[in-house]
Amino acid sequence: MSSNRLVIEGEVVALDLLRYTPAGIPLVNITFRHTSIQNEAGMKRQAECEIQAVAMGELAKKAEKLNIGEQIKVTGFLAKKSLKNDRLMLHINELKTI
Amino acid sequence: MRILRVALDLPVDTLFDYLDGASHVKVGQRVLVPFGKRQIIAIVLARVAVSEIADNKLKAILQAFEDEPPLPAATLQLLKFCADYYQYPLGQALLSALPSRLREARPALLPKLTVFKLSEQARAAGLEAIAPRAKLQRLLYQALQNTEHLDATLLATIASGWRNGIKQMISQGLVMTAEVEHLLQVNLASASVSPPLNADQQQSLDVILAEREAFKVWLLYGITGSGKTEVYMHLLQAVLAKPGSQALVLVPEINLTPQLEARFRARFPQMHMVMLHSQMNESERLHGWLRSQNGDARIIIGTRLSVFTPIKHLALIVVDEEHDASYKQQDGMRYSARDIAILRAKSANVPALLGSATPSLESWHNAQTGRYHLLQLSNRAVLGAALPEIKCIDVRQLPLQEALHPQLIAAMRQRLEHGEQSLLFINRRGYAPVLLCNACAWVAPCTRCSSRLVVHLRDKRMRCHHCGHEQRMPMQCPKCGNPDLRPAGQGTQRLEELLTAQFPQARILRVDRDSMRNKHAISAMTKAVHAQEIDILVGTQMLAKGHDFPHLTLVGVIDTDSALFSPDYRAAEKLFAQLMQVSGRAGRAGKSGEVLIQTAFPDHVLFQALQRHDYVAFADSLLQERQMANFPPYCFEALLRAEAPHYEPVREFFRAATAASETLTHNLAVYDPVRPRMERLKGMERAQLLIQASARPALQKFLRSWVTMLRALPQAGKVRWSVDVDPLDF
Repeated sequence: MSSNRLVIEGEVVALDLLRYTPAGIPLVNITFRHTSIQNEAGMKRQAECEIQAVAMGELAKKAEKLNIGEQIKVTGFLAKKSLKNDRLMLHINELKTI
Repeated sequence: MRILRVALDLPVDTLFDYLDGASHVKVGQRVLVPFGKRQIIAIVLARVAVSEIADNKLKAILQAFEDEPPLPAATLQLLKFCADYYQYPLGQALLSALPSRLREARPALLPKLTVFKLSEQARAAGLEAIAPRAKLQRLLYQALQNTEHLDATLLATIASGWRNGIKQMISQGLVMTAEVEHLLQVNLASASVSPPLNADQQQSLDVILAEREAFKVWLLYGITGSGKTEVYMHLLQAVLAKPGSQALVLVPEINLTPQLEARFRARFPQMHMVMLHSQMNESERLHGWLRSQNGDARIIIGTRLSVFTPIKHLALIVVDEEHDASYKQQDGMRYSARDIAILRAKSANVPALLGSATPSLESWHNAQTGRYHLLQLSNRAVLGAALPEIKCIDVRQLPLQEALHPQLIAAMRQRLEHGEQSLLFINRRGYAPVLLCNACAWVAPCTRCSSRLVVHLRDKRMRCHHCGHEQRMPMQCPKCGNPDLRPAGQGTQRLEELLTAQFPQARILRVDRDSMRNKHAISAMTKAVHAQEIDILVGTQMLAKGHDFPHLTLVGVIDTDSALFSPDYRAAEKLFAQLMQVSGRAGRAGKSGEVLIQTAFPDHVLFQALQRHDYVAFADSLLQERQMANFPPYCFEALLRAEAPHYEPVREFFRAATAASETLTHNLAVYDPVRPRMERLKGMERAQLLIQASARPALQKFLRSWVTMLRALPQAGKVRWSVDVDPLDF
């Protein structure tokens, strides 16, 4: 059970300030909105969602420079936000502006 | 009687016999003796005619320090009593009370000063003894003629080339050298003016002075800022007017000595004064000790270790902040300096004055039952200065991540606008008390203690505040791999950071053990605060007591609630005293003060009493509780502690100790061994066993037999154990 990979595109709607972990790893939280047309049961439909994501290390420096409204394509894995919060968080492995 | 009975610094409760090696060493003097392959320092306690050891087996001492002043009989007797009372080997008790220089195998004497004086012949011959051309020598002659002798410093002020001149005069037999005792320097400045005493202060002073010739314990209960120190100083002035008399002033913390020293020196510029505390270098401590012993020092100010200092003509003992826990020694011989001070006063038949704004329940109880005599200062000394208003801020509504309540922030902003100072008190140094992984709930533990590591963010390190262990900040959670670890909770550094963000224009100073590491940091801090170069102080209990900052009008207290629910029955007493102390920093000089305490339990009785400044009611209610539960001061306690790298030998030791106690007849309670809150400390597994008795003699009688049995237990060799009589911490 090791598959955990999500590729998704969206528009940046919120970008937190860059912060550092206690050991000094840079980290930034991003929220982006995804809107697309997908196939389901042989029919077309709209897919819309807001994704909370985090970029760490070198990717955080890159993510920090994004602008609100910018279109991005990210690849990453999902994990729950914290022990007490089951909301999913996308941990970014690759980040491209499109 | 050529046999010396001596005490050695060894963990055995016996004395040792040596031949005196044809020396005339006296009781109380130091000797160097062979012990196995080592050579160690011993104190002579007696000369005896016969030894249990055959004469031909006795060894001779290696060296006798016959020129040194012997420890006075009173000091030997005091330490003998302490060794007995605290169940500690006499040799260790004696030697650990001495300054470390006295435990070294070299002479320990006061520094001598080389001085130069005219020979009889030169004096008789007059100035004609020197050729008129020798101008320098004539100048020196004239200077020496007017006085008994001069030292190098003084001669240098007469002529820079004095050395050559003196050398020639010595070779001609005109000048001789001599060694004299180096006396303490006095300051020739005039004494600072003593402010007039208010009615309370004057009355307390008069009452004590009326009975200054005999032993009596006075408990001076004075609210914060009521001028207790002023009473001490007036008392000293009166008592020291008698030529040669000396006074011992005990203070709880090294941090407070420079401040107190400055005040005393300003008031008594002509009095020889010594300081005695552990941060002095070894020879300074030795000289202070010797100058107290020979009577040169009139005022001796020191922390707990100074309580054993021999004092030639002791006339008064003052114990400032008598409730303070630092008077209790926490390792070796676990003595209470306050209790020993009282004992000393009794045997010297002089008064002992204990001062506090929140007396210990023991002392309060003694005052209630008439053993001590209560004196009260109920007004602030500075005219118009009132006690600060204390309010609780309910933080239950506050989101957890917010450390400061808006009400406190608003109050601080107001102080800033008025150019007044605020103090934020939080009893935790570092950035945050724990490092937490919120993906899996891991917290960074200490590898050697059952404690958590404290985050020191600036150094990117985590430290254990119990054992000193430290390590680098982990890159990720060692359990689940999450790199986004969170410092949780508040420490001084984090508050400092928060305040800097909140008040970017304010001058903020953090005061804790980390920022005050430097020897002069404290006095620099005090100076800066007095000069109003600081707007906000953030600090630990270091800031809580003693300081007198006239422009400080607001005190904020953060995060004290954990002490409300501590299993330690003294926790409430300690917290009340601490909060009273820290509250007392506000509004001391006529500007009204305010204290805001952030708590989730604003209705707690402790805070209710605190808001009314009602120590008396709170102390009485605590005493009632203690009486019902039969806790001190209504019973007498001793604690047996033991520790070892593994728990098994500790368990075995306690099993044997309990069995031993059952063979003794006694009417006291011997409880089962338990693990203390810190089960593991510095890599040692710990346990302890409490004994409670309704009377001190019963406890002492039991301990004497029991501790002798414990020393002989085979299990005792496999653990590190100690007995704590009248323990303060559990």
